[in-house]
Amino acid sequence: MQQHRALILRSNRFLGSSLVNKGLVSSGDLEAANEKFMEAIQSPELLRNASILTTLLYDLKVLDEAKLLEHIVEEHGIGLIDLNYVELRSLRPMNVDISLCWASSTIPFDKVEDTYMVASCYYISAPVVKYWEELLDGKVVWYGASMDSINRGLERLEEIHSAEDAAAAAAEEE
Amino acid sequence: MAYSVLILDDDRDFNSLLTDIFEQADYIVTSLEDPIEAVEVFTNTDYDLVVTDHKMPEMTGAEFMKVIKKIKPEVPVIMVSGYLENDTIRELIGEGVGGVFLKPLNIFSLLERTAELIEEAKKTQQSPQLAEDAEGDAAGSDGSLGFGFRSFPCKSQASIDFAERLYNLRNFKSTLSLIGEPGTHFRLICEDIRGFYESEKEHFIYLSAGSFDAEQVLSMLAAAKAAGAERVTCVLLEVEAMSEDQKKLAASLPKCDGLFESIETPLRTIFCVSGDLDSLFDEGLIDENLYILMGTAEVRVPALRDCPSDIAVMAQQMVVDIIREKGLGSVSRFEQSARDFFRKHTWDHNYAQLRSTVRQVMETNPGDVLTLAALTAAVQVSAAASPRARFEAHLSSTRVDYVRAASILFGGDRLKVSNFFGTDTGVVEGVLK
Repeated sequence: MQQHRALILRSNRFLGSSLVNKGLVSSGDLEAANEKFMEAIQSPELLRNASILTTLLYDLKVLDEAKLLEHIVEEHGIGLIDLNYVELRSLRPMNVDISLCWASSTIPFDKVEDTYMVASCYYISAPVVKYWEELLDGKVVWYGASMDSINRGLERLEEIHSAEDAAAAAAEEE
Repeated sequence: MAYSVLILDDDRDFNSLLTDIFEQADYIVTSLEDPIEAVEVFTNTDYDLVVTDHKMPEMTGAEFMKVIKKIKPEVPVIMVSGYLENDTIRELIGEGVGGVFLKPLNIFSLLERTAELIEEAKKTQQSPQLAEDAEGDAAGSDGSLGFGFRSFPCKSQASIDFAERLYNLRNFKSTLSLIGEPGTHFRLICEDIRGFYESEKEHFIYLSAGSFDAEQVLSMLAAAKAAGAERVTCVLLEVEAMSEDQKKLAASLPKCDGLFESIETPLRTIFCVSGDLDSLFDEGLIDENLYILMGTAEVRVPALRDCPSDIAVMAQQMVVDIIREKGLGSVSRFEQSARDFFRKHTWDHNYAQLRSTVRQVMETNPGDVLTLAALTAAVQVSAAASPRARFEAHLSSTRVDYVRAASILFGGDRLKVSNFFGTDTGVVEGVLK
């Protein structure tokens, strides 16, 4: 996760500013979330869920996620997706590091020809969008997703990768 | 409370100058060039004062005044003119003119007389109903923005948005970040924020890379507390130019951590940064703590090129300031082509460049009309001497820091401060203003 430290800082900073600018959280609440975020990011092991969004949603309970998603749909005109209903596949063929997905709360969940379908709960954070679009050569169709949907999706992907690793190890032993 | 003034002058340039002068003095101005139209507008609108030229083609100022005095005799009128016979002046006074000013104008006398006349008129008109109205106005109205704002004339959408955003954030809890381009006039902007609060118990202290250390902060806070401060806003200028130790201090100040643990007075911090924050972060000039801390309430100050309609007005205000500083009587004004140039030039070093350019123009061409040629020559000089301009801006800013610090240490006693610096109280007043 340390390799994504700059992206984590930048994306969370932008996300916080955007939430305040859109009137979705107050600057006082963001201030409290920033403090927790800095504690998380400065801990010896960078917590993989060091996220202002997590703090605002689950710790401080000051952000209405439904309003955030509604804002994304209305202002940015992108669709929403619940990854719980999507059959996820390994990220390895796409050459995507799962730690990057954790760092940016974003999952490329499908690829049709050269176009990637990417779900994120950080869509309103410009650095996240820019980073992924550069990584995937601009061929991205974006979807908004809830934090819970992304987190569970990432856990499932980790299971998929673990199963792949186990299968590879077993094949090597044979 | 902002008063409204109707300005009538068929000379477009002079009308524009008068408009600038009154707008800078926080009046709400309607400027018209046609007396017939002015009568109609005056009839249908409430004004606190009328300023009119005398010599106009369709109707003289005296005739215009007679007409409007029949409609609303209570509204005071000031006459401005290039030349008037003594008999005409006597006649005008007989007709009830509140003041007669001959060109070139002494704008300070003009504004002083304006304020007097409005005050007199208000006293005369005072009634319970009027008092109630005035109270309502005071609560919500000060110019077209609805609040006082001087660092930008707010004639462009970018500066209007900026002013409104700043006003909406005025009750920020702990930190506010102002991010601007090099040469941005952060101090004046912070003075506007200061002006949002009516209470004298709101104190602002200013610290820059040259003056920011824990001891200085604590001593200034103690002085502010002794002067009755109930809350102090600490403005940190040039954060990007601070040393590593100063940046660590800057990050601990809003939380009152470490060396600031003893602070009891409620404290807020405004960070002022020149440059792109992300680039500064990438370059290691802003550390992680500050980078995140500055994101809590962040406002981008528009560059001058984003507010083209503001620039000529700002320049004219600078001219007025220089004239005041030098004690000159008449107001120089930029010719129309020069005003157009202000709008089109990019002003890469923003306010600092504009200020040094206007100073240069006034040094070399202090006549009544400031020409485009003088302006473009000054821009070239200013561009060639930009390091000097930056040093001058820095020295000017430091001078204000020192005078403020001395004022706090001497409990606001201007005489002691002026004795300390070996100057007169007028200079000290000027710097503190």
